[in-house]
Amino acid sequence: MDEFNDSEIARLLRLKRYEQPPPGYFENFLHEFHRRQRDELVRQPLWRICLERAHNFVWQLNVGSLTSYPAAVTAVLLCAAIISIKIYQQPETARVALQSPPAISVPASAEGEWNLASPVATQILRTQPVRSFHESAQTHRASPPRYVLDSVPVSYEPTFRF
Amino acid sequence: MNSSVALPARRISDLLSSGLEARAKSKRDAMDQPRTDPDQELVKRTQAGDAGAFDELVIKYTPRLYGLVYNMTSNHEDTNDLLQDIFAKAYKAIRGFRGKSSFYTWIHSIAVNMSLNFLKKRGRRFQLSLDDVDASIQNDKEFLELTATSSPVREADLSELQRRLNEAMMKLSDEHRAVVTMFHIQGMPHAEISKILRVSEGTVRSRLFYANRQLQNYLDEFRKNPVS
Repeated sequence: MDEFNDSEIARLLRLKRYEQPPPGYFENFLHEFHRRQRDELVRQPLWRICLERAHNFVWQLNVGSLTSYPAAVTAVLLCAAIISIKIYQQPETARVALQSPPAISVPASAEGEWNLASPVATQILRTQPVRSFHESAQTHRASPPRYVLDSVPVSYEPTFRF
Repeated sequence: MNSSVALPARRISDLLSSGLEARAKSKRDAMDQPRTDPDQELVKRTQAGDAGAFDELVIKYTPRLYGLVYNMTSNHEDTNDLLQDIFAKAYKAIRGFRGKSSFYTWIHSIAVNMSLNFLKKRGRRFQLSLDDVDASIQNDKEFLELTATSSPVREADLSELQRRLNEAMMKLSDEHRAVVTMFHIQGMPHAEISKILRVSEGTVRSRLFYANRQLQNYLDEFRKNPVS
């Protein structure tokens, strides 16, 4: 008999479709898949899990990127505005902290020269004479005049802030 | 990834049968003009974070991908492990799926590439671990015709026939075996195979031609000595 022709080979190969896994294999496959995924997740280090979760969260936002992009930009601007407001709402406490005996031993210049090139904080330090701890409890009617920028009354004791 | 609610058995069987129907439908669809991907809705839901949608894709494609991987590896245990890895990779990569091809083509590409990589690592160190042949083969029209017309097939019992066929398949190169599996066993058209393998249709046809010649040689021994 001649060798198998192409048609017979094709028929023989199609019979391989009848090779099937054990009964219930396909029904159980999904459960097995979930179990393996859980096992793999548990084996991962915590930082990797957090990174993947963060990545998935960001990716979800980008799915509708055309609609969420303006929202994302708005959110960023809003956060920046809130942070800026909070910073600018703390001038008094910042300056009072600077008036307390500083750890910085900056020699006080007799007269501070305002220079736009110099940072304001540096100017405040330079214009204020270094005061010792004991002096802070006394009023200083005869003390050198404070500058206008200092909004704290002379009679008030400075608040020590660290 | 967890499904908060287990799918009922009836739902699973419905999805399995729809997967089997998809096998026949895929052949017709491949010849038609490009149409809307039938899995598009499930893919979108999965990308949006619906794990249940991916579960439905798993149930739908498991039988088909199992056949593909099993016939490339001829080992049930390797097939099971590979199939788990294939769906795990697909789940991780699905957010990057842009729909340039159908999900069917996409996941088959993943399955074929991972199987080929696995086979390269496995090399020659393997042993057959074959699934049982379903008893309904006795009623298969083509099987009955073969036993009627071909004496080797008639004389050999089913297990011998199965072993000879698998041994012949494993003698092919991995790439040729992939094409034979997809065309003859899975029933895919040349166009679909070329998309999955990212080669031209001419390459697919030439690989099939060469593989058929090889199988004729390998099965010649079976023809001469059907009963070992």
